[in-house]
Amino acid sequence: MKDLKHLIYFEKLLENADNELVKQAQADGQLCMGYTCFHIPEVLLNVDNCFSVRLRAPKTGSIDIATYYMSNYSCEFSRALLERAIEGGYQFLDALIGVDACSMMNRSMEHFEILQVNSKPKFFVTHTDMPYKITDYTLESYVKQMRLRVLDRMTEVYGVDTSDAAIRKAVEQHNEVCSIINEMMEMRKADNPVITGYEFHVIDLVTYVCPKALILPYLRETLEELRERKPDKKPQFRARVAVIGSEIDDPQLTELIESCGALVVSDRYCFGSTPGRDIIKLKDDEDALTQICLQYMEASECPRYISDEKVLQRRETSDRLAREYRADGIIYEQMKYCDYWGFERALASHVVAEDYGWPVLSIDRLYNNGNSGQLRTRVQAFVESLEIKRIHKEEGDK
Amino acid sequence: MAKTPRYPNPEFWRYKDHMDLKAQAENLKEVFGIFKDMYKEADKKAFFQNQIRKIKDDGQRVKREFKEIKAMSATEKVDLLVNGEKKLGLLYRKGDMATVRREWRGVKDTAYDFAAWLRLWGMLLLSFSHDLIPALNGLFYYRWYVSYFCCHGWADKSTMGLRGSQLRLTHMAIYEMFRYVAENLTLLSKCDEKNGNCTELNKKFVCFDEMTMGQIMGGFPDLLGMPHQLLPVFLVSELDQLTCIPYIDAVESFGLPSDTCPVPTSECGALVLDALPHMGCCFLSSSMPCDGSTMASSYFGRRFPDTPVFHLCFPVRYYDEETVQMGAEDIRACIKFIEDVTGAKWNWDAYFEQIKRFNEETTYELQKWEINKSAYPQFIGPMYELFRKWNYEMDGGADPRTLKAMRKMNKLLLKAYDRKEEPYPGKMKYRALVWSCPAHYYANFSNWAANCWGINVLVEMESLNFTKMLETEDKEEALRDLARLYERMVMRRHTNGGYQNVVDELWRQCEDWNAPMVIMYQNVACKNMATVQGILDEQGRARNIDMIWVEHDLMDPRTVSRRTMRDKVSQFMRTVKQAEPLDESLVDFEDEICM
Repeated sequence: MKDLKHLIYFEKLLENADNELVKQAQADGQLCMGYTCFHIPEVLLNVDNCFSVRLRAPKTGSIDIATYYMSNYSCEFSRALLERAIEGGYQFLDALIGVDACSMMNRSMEHFEILQVNSKPKFFVTHTDMPYKITDYTLESYVKQMRLRVLDRMTEVYGVDTSDAAIRKAVEQHNEVCSIINEMMEMRKADNPVITGYEFHVIDLVTYVCPKALILPYLRETLEELRERKPDKKPQFRARVAVIGSEIDDPQLTELIESCGALVVSDRYCFGSTPGRDIIKLKDDEDALTQICLQYMEASECPRYISDEKVLQRRETSDRLAREYRADGIIYEQMKYCDYWGFERALASHVVAEDYGWPVLSIDRLYNNGNSGQLRTRVQAFVESLEIKRIHKEEGDK
Repeated sequence: MAKTPRYPNPEFWRYKDHMDLKAQAENLKEVFGIFKDMYKEADKKAFFQNQIRKIKDDGQRVKREFKEIKAMSATEKVDLLVNGEKKLGLLYRKGDMATVRREWRGVKDTAYDFAAWLRLWGMLLLSFSHDLIPALNGLFYYRWYVSYFCCHGWADKSTMGLRGSQLRLTHMAIYEMFRYVAENLTLLSKCDEKNGNCTELNKKFVCFDEMTMGQIMGGFPDLLGMPHQLLPVFLVSELDQLTCIPYIDAVESFGLPSDTCPVPTSECGALVLDALPHMGCCFLSSSMPCDGSTMASSYFGRRFPDTPVFHLCFPVRYYDEETVQMGAEDIRACIKFIEDVTGAKWNWDAYFEQIKRFNEETTYELQKWEINKSAYPQFIGPMYELFRKWNYEMDGGADPRTLKAMRKMNKLLLKAYDRKEEPYPGKMKYRALVWSCPAHYYANFSNWAANCWGINVLVEMESLNFTKMLETEDKEEALRDLARLYERMVMRRHTNGGYQNVVDELWRQCEDWNAPMVIMYQNVACKNMATVQGILDEQGRARNIDMIWVEHDLMDPRTVSRRTMRDKVSQFMRTVKQAEPLDESLVDFEDEICM
């Protein structure tokens, strides 16, 4: 296929947390709100003159200092963020919006405060309490936390307008980004898609780490390009897979999977498009904040939601995505040392195989995986097994 | 004055069992088949040789002890007679599952110790006799069950070196805990579908996660509440260091990463191996105390899909008063769930009655703290910590007998304080706190530290929980208080809600208890604690506090053995403190398979 015009630019944007567009927005007087987790509705950080950046630590090398503080048994993502913070890599942030959802990420953010990694005078870290299940009282508490610990703090410290109207305006822009990504997702359902998993991953990632207003023109143009793009006559992939699991902000992982012959057609992981790029539907006669919070609770696929219906929802989502995107198998992945996904992956990978009949590859992985020979071997073996299954099925059909 | 209800409800014992005799016979056949295979495959020659070696070794030991006593001066002999022996490490022998004999504590204390030993046996027999057949039958279903037979050995190890009032206090605490264990084991066996299968009792039986506190059941006096995994996993791992290994291996083979906390790991492993009883009419899971425990409930749901589950989910940022109402509402919803499933009605009077008892127990706990903060600490060591944990989490004022025992203990405590007794006579050299979660497989570690190095553990982190007097009149406030209590359950009180609760809190407690030394447990899989190790280390150094870092793997002694744990302390004492041990025989001994 013909190369996408902006792909290299997008890749470049992913090389640093404070990329060109972040710098440009800040130069224009905008405020940068860092966050790390789906539990914080991204759209709330894009109100008024604020823009959100979901934190990554690209090109992470040694994480020795963070390991001293947080031990070598903790999630590498949270350690990588702390290491980068200590190096001064998040000096550009104006605030860090924390969630006490998983203990390791919470501790990572607490270290931002303890070690005073950001010297901006008004910089603040806020911590919010997250619900574990959906009820009227958990929703009420969630809304209160978002109002008191996030929006009100933004107003108190920076005078940000966090009114209902400001939130609705941010939702409009958010939805435009989501609709572009959703159209790209639809393209992945084709027999021979015009977009690879890697390309999609890169495009999707930039929407999380760049100011929405500044990335939108590039996204619009790329969408147009994809609409016209002609796929290769013969697909270069031997199998289609859905990737389900914990945080992935490293497109190299998708590249690694695809280099083994498996086209990634669906991505249900933190930083992925499901449910992160769901369009937010607001009713005019109800409070926007409450509606947004409820949608995030209902859409969340985080294993931290432990109620039975959410456990079932996660399994059903895996099955639905694999079917809709016509995957041959599912890769359940987990960031090493992530407790939530560690337990979830171990059980769900059995359930999805036994109850739903999907071939499953279950892996735990490091934060940076680009060159993992071990992982490559496992994916290659999985692709071969999927091929064999297909051949047997075709022979059986004859 | 209303009569105090009996606990547990005597009605529970009267319900009829519905044992499936055919299934029992099949199980017995299978068990005896296993025994037969084991017998066939056993190297009998080696077994008998080992027994002969032990008999010879015992003979030599008796000779050696006789010679040593003979060589003693008259004063030393009197001291031995009155105060007991000093070389406690000699009680261990390589390859043995129990100590070679019981400790000689001097005439008076040995006599008391023996009486307490007999009393414990009596209580166990009496408790099991309530429904003997299912209680004994549990042995043929669950491998963990047999580990409870070593409870006396465990009590012996936990009381090593103790004399006087401390010995009595410790025995009283052990008795209270084991009565709970024995009665609940009997009830558990009675309810278990594979065993007693008592349908009537199962309709009244609410199971909850072992990390869920029991106080909520105070409002349901006609129901039986019991933590599902407490007896098969949690408590038994304190008694027998090898119990959880098969569970951990099973669930790791299933695909669970090996870096998760051994508590939920073992619980899930027990489910994989079908080692948990099937009982009760519903299950209360919880989001406590940490991420791993939160996730274990989905494994329960997979194993017992027909059991209705309520997920008690409390806010993590518990100091944020804005979150309290959510916790209170969750408790209200949980009460409604129990009412719907069991048909029972919440009884405020019964609840307030229990909480009044719990509040009184809390006042006794606070008195212990005051005494232990003084220059003459009294009730210290591993049993104090375990008793506090059990009383706070599981009993919670439910059993009036516990309150009675605590009143008695408090009197004894105050007398001992007036007499300025030393729990470990002559061994009070260092005042220390224990921080983070202790290794289950080395429950008597602080006892060893006192006997070997004179490190007296005044209190452990897990004892320092919520001490507010809970509301006993206003119903709405009572729910909020209950939420506050649950949010501050053992471990969670410190490891959740912000680093201040575990880091700043430690320095505050060091000052409060006048303890310049901290035994800093490092459960290698505890993410909440591991992620503050750097700042604890830095700030401890800045405050000139002796931090003895002791790694362990909570329920898996293969990762870090008891011996390695001891070595860490000994190395620190020798190199940093330039100290010499009080009992050389305890510095290095083998207890790899000792229960």
